Amino acid sequence: MKVALVFLVLIGAIVIGLPFSIEGDASLTGAVQSFLSYAFTATGFLLGLLTIFMSRSLSDDLVNRQLFLIVTKPVARWQFLAGKWMGITGLNVMFLCAAGVTAYGMVHYIMRTHPPLDDRFDKQELTNEVLVARHARPLRRPDFSRDIDAEFERNREEGLYDAVPDFDPQAEKARLANKYSARWRVVGPGEGRIFYFEQVLVDRNRQPYIQLRYMADVSNYAPDEIFRATWIFGDRARGTPERRADVRHMVGRYHIVRVAADVVAPDGTLKVTFLNRNPFADEPDFRNVIDFKPSEPVEVLFIVGSFEGNLVRLLILMMCKLMFLAALAILAASIFSFPVACLCALTVYVFAGAQQFLLDSLDFLSDDYATMFSSAQEFFAQLLIFLFQAVCFVVPDFSRYDAVESLVSGRNVGLVWVLQAVFELALLKTFIVLGLAMLLFQRREVAEVSV
Amino acid sequence: MPDRSQPVVQSVGLCKTFRDFWRRPRVEAVKDLNFEIRPGEVFGLLGPNGSGKTTTIKMLLGLLYPTRGRISVFAKAPTDVSVKSRIGFLPEESYLYRFLVARETLDYFGRLFRLPARVRRERTERLLDMVGLRHEAKRPVGEYSKGMARRIGLAQALINDPEFLILDEPTAGLDPIGSKQIKDVIRALGRKGKTILLSSHVLADVEDVCDRVTILYGGQERATGEVHELLRQGDVTQMVAPSLSERTIEQVREVIRNCEHKDLLEVTNPRVRLEEFFLRIVDEAQAANIRTYGARRGGDLPDFLQAEATTEQVVDSLVAAAGPKPDVLRDRAAAIAPAPRPEAEPSREVIEELVGERPERRDEAARPAARPAEPIPVKPQRTRVPIARDEAVIEALLHNDARRGSEGDDMTDDPNKPDAES
Repeated sequence: MKVALVFLVLIGAIVIGLPFSIEGDASLTGAVQSFLSYAFTATGFLLGLLTIFMSRSLSDDLVNRQLFLIVTKPVARWQFLAGKWMGITGLNVMFLCAAGVTAYGMVHYIMRTHPPLDDRFDKQELTNEVLVARHARPLRRPDFSRDIDAEFERNREEGLYDAVPDFDPQAEKARLANKYSARWRVVGPGEGRIFYFEQVLVDRNRQPYIQLRYMADVSNYAPDEIFRATWIFGDRARGTPERRADVRHMVGRYHIVRVAADVVAPDGTLKVTFLNRNPFADEPDFRNVIDFKPSEPVEVLFIVGSFEGNLVRLLILMMCKLMFLAALAILAASIFSFPVACLCALTVYVFAGAQQFLLDSLDFLSDDYATMFSSAQEFFAQLLIFLFQAVCFVVPDFSRYDAVESLVSGRNVGLVWVLQAVFELALLKTFIVLGLAMLLFQRREVAEVSV
Repeated sequence: MPDRSQPVVQSVGLCKTFRDFWRRPRVEAVKDLNFEIRPGEVFGLLGPNGSGKTTTIKMLLGLLYPTRGRISVFAKAPTDVSVKSRIGFLPEESYLYRFLVARETLDYFGRLFRLPARVRRERTERLLDMVGLRHEAKRPVGEYSKGMARRIGLAQALINDPEFLILDEPTAGLDPIGSKQIKDVIRALGRKGKTILLSSHVLADVEDVCDRVTILYGGQERATGEVHELLRQGDVTQMVAPSLSERTIEQVREVIRNCEHKDLLEVTNPRVRLEEFFLRIVDEAQAANIRTYGARRGGDLPDFLQAEATTEQVVDSLVAAAGPKPDVLRDRAAAIAPAPRPEAEPSREVIEELVGERPERRDEAARPAARPAEPIPVKPQRTRVPIARDEAVIEALLHNDARRGSEGDDMTDDPNKPDAES
């Protein structure tokens, strides 16, 4: 179909043309990351549209009546639909493979041609932080529940809550939890804080180092916007060496500290100590409170795979989404005419991609909002919420299976994640949708006359 | 073996009502239709536009579902997939994929019947020869004229050697040559024991080939019966004689007046049918090798469409002077013929059969020019002419055939030889 050709040309133009038109932050890492992000986002989007448009082959068979000659042959209608779905899926496999191979080739092309050509540091950063598959472990947050309960009981005994109107104990305990958490993650000038990481299952034979990634905010901006501190990795009590890293890092940006992997204890525990004091004696000391915000978590990264493996898993995730879309397009085309089928499938596609955004953004979908109405309106509001939740159950949330960001930031696209997508998208929901299509198509009169 | 005791198609109280978007009944296309199609007959479905013919056929094929009543094919529901392998369907319009060439089209439909590759290839080539499209086999079907598309449509309907063939307006868009060929195919398939349902507006074609017909009007059956019974005029007697003098005619008139006390109604010279005249002119043009870019005259019915071999078919194939090597024919004849009767003389019936029943061949273009006008032919009877199984005749023909082969006649298909036998 000519439509498929147009989409292929667009995808080819994007994947091949992007390296010549984007720069990112002018660094090699930025250029590659920008390319990967745009290339795979555009490819996924365009292939999704193409998958929906390819359902036209079923619509055309119905409208032009080629179907008359097929269903009068010993071919079951479910076989016909399954064949259409397999054809669209097969084409998507080819297109995705072509896009993946081309993108991989263009990454290497960028590496060879991006100026300055002799920047070893830039290339090393790219190799360590993008062209890898790293697993991230967040720090272990201490359990403050005892402290929270104790303070809550103390306050209650002192009668601090008696005069509070509409007092909610749960809300108060949440406030106390935030307070303790904030106290813990904020490190005052001259103070230190110990962080623990668990299940840092680094393979020392494969990868001799780990990375600590963090972003710090300060209470008092220095003129050069740089804070100075010390990180100490390891725990002698557990038999690991201690390694120290004195850092000068910009405020409000992510930074990575590399350290030898032998600081991780054999049981996978890593002890990291942060000292908020200037280790550089000859540099000015700006005393600051450093805040590690929960929205920008501190995490340990260690390499568990290769960029190539990550790329393949990303393509599998994209393929799972396309398989569901193909089934959806087949379902719509088996019931409606092509324009209506396209509209329905596109609506579901957009909904699947924006589901999380809608849930987060639309207040009326929350239960609290529903109780604001009178009983009749509340019933309809509850019904609407129920229907929306039912739709959310059937229509997958595509944002849960979007791995482009992971690929771009060198994060591992986990096998469990891929298997989850294969089971939920490619198997369960795809076959539910295809099964529904087969059921409806079986009952359809293909020679039906509209009067 | 198919069960010949059951009707191929049985319709009981069949009704179909089309509804609008709001499910309100709007058109009652078929009302309480009862009919059956017996094995081995050519059945005609007639009626004016909108009488329910195509709707009935679509219900037969499972393209539409009855509103009420029941219709069965080979004693099963039309939607039963196993039934479809025994049916061939030629729809009213060409619903083929326009981007496929003819060969690919037939191969595609052959695959749907799960025919092995070798069988598909063989049947494709033979069917292309039969419908006269071998030279256009590499053109996309979308570029075909309507008539050519009908021919390839017929070919796809026969790819699976169906027991039951449904033809909806098979001669629509065809020139008289093509129409004649289609009718010949229908007759030949009917003689082979195939069951055929023919729906057509061309009443002459239906009259020529059908055994029984039903006439629909307003979705209801108005008349059903054998063609010769329905059309017979019981109150008129027709006699055909060679050219008579005026005196003889007057004498005949006098005899009728005296014996029957009735007057002779009409004395005229009968007319040749326009179809025959047309075909004769075209034959002459083909004999003169005048070039044409359209469909060629088709070939014989492929052997795979014939029923299991009988002695009659062996004789037919010998007469056609083409086909497999002589030793294969000899082996086939020996395998099916009974023990020879050394005292039997060549049967007159066999010889007459050999001389009279010559299938359509391209080498008929080499016949002498215009035949004299012939009287209106009587429609041949459907009953088989018994042929005595005479080994002496068969052997004589086999020897003749072997001698011809040794003299260097080309026994193989040669697409560059327009007169080559299929």
